[in-house]
Formats: sequence, structure tokens, C-alpha cells
Amino acid sequence: MAPSLLKNNHKNIGIVGVPPLAVIRELNDRRVKIHDLDTPLVKAAIETTTPFIPEVYCAILRTVVLNALHLALDAIYIDIGPGKCDCAMHVATILADTLDVPIIPTRNEDRHRFGNPLCESGLPLLEKFLQITKGVQSARPPANPPVPATPTAGFWGVPPRDFSILELFPDTTHIYGWTRCMENKTPAAVELEAYCNPAVPTIFYAQSFCAKTALAKHLARQHPHGLYLDCDLQAGSSAKAKIQAFLELAGVFA
Amino acid sequence: MILGDFGTSYSKLLDLNDPEPRPVVIRSKELTAAHRVTVGTGHNGKRFTACYINELIALARGGAVLIPDAEYVLLDCGSRDIKFIKYANGRLADMGWNSECGASMGFTIELLARYYDLDYQELPVPERPFSVTCGVLGMSRIFDAVVAGDSEAVAVARFVKGIALNAYRFAGSPSTLYLSGGLCDNPLFVNSFPCRVVPLGRFVLLEGLKITATQLRARGLLVEE
Repeated sequence: MAPSLLKNNHKNIGIVGVPPLAVIRELNDRRVKIHDLDTPLVKAAIETTTPFIPEVYCAILRTVVLNALHLALDAIYIDIGPGKCDCAMHVATILADTLDVPIIPTRNEDRHRFGNPLCESGLPLLEKFLQITKGVQSARPPANPPVPATPTAGFWGVPPRDFSILELFPDTTHIYGWTRCMENKTPAAVELEAYCNPAVPTIFYAQSFCAKTALAKHLARQHPHGLYLDCDLQAGSSAKAKIQAFLELAGVFA
Repeated sequence: MILGDFGTSYSKLLDLNDPEPRPVVIRSKELTAAHRVTVGTGHNGKRFTACYINELIALARGGAVLIPDAEYVLLDCGSRDIKFIKYANGRLADMGWNSECGASMGFTIELLARYYDLDYQELPVPERPFSVTCGVLGMSRIFDAVVAGDSEAVAVARFVKGIALNAYRFAGSPSTLYLSGGLCDNPLFVNSFPCRVVPLGRFVLLEGLKITATQLRARGLLVEE
């Protein structure tokens, strides 16, 4: 962490991945506006990133570059440790060479567990993801943890670039994988990332061109009732049909 | 009650009110607004029904009716895409739907026969296939092969075998493959698979719709059009 790079006049800070808790705490204390660059924040065409990053690349990191190019940010914290990915490390280099703001790499290896009340709640899956991704901007756990629900389905993986696929799942879907690590604020916890529930039909999701596709496919093969799925920028009709068919044929809606 | 499988090139309709219901096949380009159905599936299905069932579900349910095995792979090769369902121990084990890399397979195979005036009933399976990933990308291989000295018939046959091998690998390279779709009637395509193939014909999805319609009717969820 390099807090000294943060100046008093810095009001808009971008984050990529899950920076260490100490960084988030400092940003919260200074009351700066945090922009989660992993999520779509601007309407500019994704193709405007093509001069800087290949088109065939993780859609999340292409989105990071898109946001960074179009938002007026004072600095960007980008996690490049085991809690994110090698691709983010290269994107950090690209951003540092392209933008005139400080690009501050971090390695989040936090071990303090915050738990997974959202992942195991009965909230709609989309709402769970919105709250978990929003939670990255805060150093505190949710004020009112939701009521847990018995799972009937599972979603393993990272928050998808296209949240519309989440609407296809029942509210009783539990979240596993890196998103679980996000809520727990331990993004580098590989054992937690690999954890899933063999008792519920589970979609193992990864962004196309992400290294996590290998783990997703591997775990889906091991799971007694798993389906591997990857999507790029937007989930096409065939991807959505696969989710619908899997859940329907697995008896999740029976 | 009318069921409809609205494919990209062909649509299959089944009127269950008929005392002896038989599927009717029509070209999709001849469809009109009058072709409304009670339950529908397929690429064009949402335009013609208020009760749309996704194609993988229709395929799986049709397979469950037509295939006696507890473990099987059922591959549907359509004009526009390919999709498969795999069951193991009586339970869904895997599935796939390829509308990009498997694009326009059936459409291209039919188009080539017309363009070169070929009859797939008469073409022998070639020894060597082309390495092709989709109908569109594979076309250039045909033109190159003809320039290199292959007859048009051999070049197209190599293309068709390449498409079959691609579909076979997409379905997980099973030892036995149940095949659905219009290409079941194409012996060159069927015999190009390096495994035992059981053609089920082009009405598997309609069979699946029958199951769905029965379930929906029993639950009072079906609106007759």
C-alpha cells in the first residue's frame, strides 16, 4: 500500500479488484468517492479500448480500461496480487503508461474473514451481487445482514460482466467462488474460492478469456451436478438458454 | 392445440387436434402471422407463440421420450446452430449450444448441394475431411480444394465430413450419438461421424413440446391460441 500517493485534493479514486482493507479504510476515512472500475460505469463503446488492450481479452479488464479512459479520476488502486490476476498486472502497466494519474498497484492478501451472509441469503441473486460488489467500497460489513436461505441452486464464479444472467436464477441460489471471497474480503483465499456445495445444481461461471475458466471447468467436471459456462461482454441467447435449461432440467423450479 | 418448432430454414408444426396428428414441415420464409401456435420453440419461435420453450429444454424432453437409455448424448444439428444434451445415470450431466463456432452448418450444407447440384444420397464418405469449425469459415476450404484438383463433389463431401467431426467433438466425442434435426436425412453427414449414430429425425423438439404442453395443461397454465 502506498497511502502517501493519495493527496488531500484527491476526490475521485478508481479501484480494480478488491484492494486491501487498509486502503479501503483510508479512502473511507478521507471520504473520497470510490469508482469500482470492474463494473460498467460509462456509456462509451468498448471498442474505444482497442488501441490499448486486445479485443480478445477479459471483458472485465476491458471495462476497467474503458472506465479509466473516460472517467476523471485522481488515482487508481489496482490489485495485482493472487486475489486478482496476472492480466490485471498487465493492465496496471498499460494504465500507468497511458494515463496521467497515479496507478497504485496493491496485493491484497488479507486474511480477516467477514463471512458470507449475502451469499447465503434469500435475496434475489441480482440483489446479492449488487450488494456484494458495492460492499467492496466499504471497510465495514453490511449493517443488517439478511436472513439466510436454504440453497436450491448455486452460482460459482466472479461477478459477471453482464448481470442480466443473474435474473434467471431463483432467490434461493447461493453464491460460491471468487464472489464469495469478495464478500468475505479475502480475495486471495483460494480454498474458499474452490469451495462449493455438491448438494445443489451449480453453474460454474467465468468470464471468457479469464484464467479462472480453467478452475470453473475443472470444478464443474468434479461437481455431481455442475455446468460450466463462460460469457464475454454480453450473455447471448444461447448462454441464457443453457442456464434456463440447466436449472429447469435439474428440477430447481419444480 | 398446435405445437411449433420454428427453425431458421424450416419450421415443423404439429396439430394435436387432428385425429391422427402428423408433423408438417414448411420453409420458415413462408411463415405468416397466421402461423400462431399454442406452444413453440426454435430460433424464430418467440414470434409465433405466447408460450415459448427454450430449445435445449425441448430437445432434452424429446430425447427423454425417444431414447430408452439412462446414459446418452443427443445432438441436434440445425440450420443455424448445434446443441447437445448429455445424460448420465438418468440425470442431466452436460449440455452445450454453439451458435457461433457451429454457425450455419446445416444452412451451408444445403446451400452447397444446390449450388453444385449435388445429391447427398449418392456422395460417398471421403477418407480425409477438411478441418472446419463452422459453415462460413469452411467455404473457402472447398474453393481451395477445387482449385487444387479435387472434384466439386469430393470437396463438398470433405467439408461435410469436417463439419460432422466438429459436431462430434463439440458433443464430447461419445461412442454412440443420438442425432436430431434435418441432417438425419443426409446419409453423407450421418455416416461421416466416427461413432455409432442413431438418427431420430427432425421432430425431436416437437416431441419435447408435447411433454411440456401436457405438463402446462395439467397445471392450468396453457392458453390456447
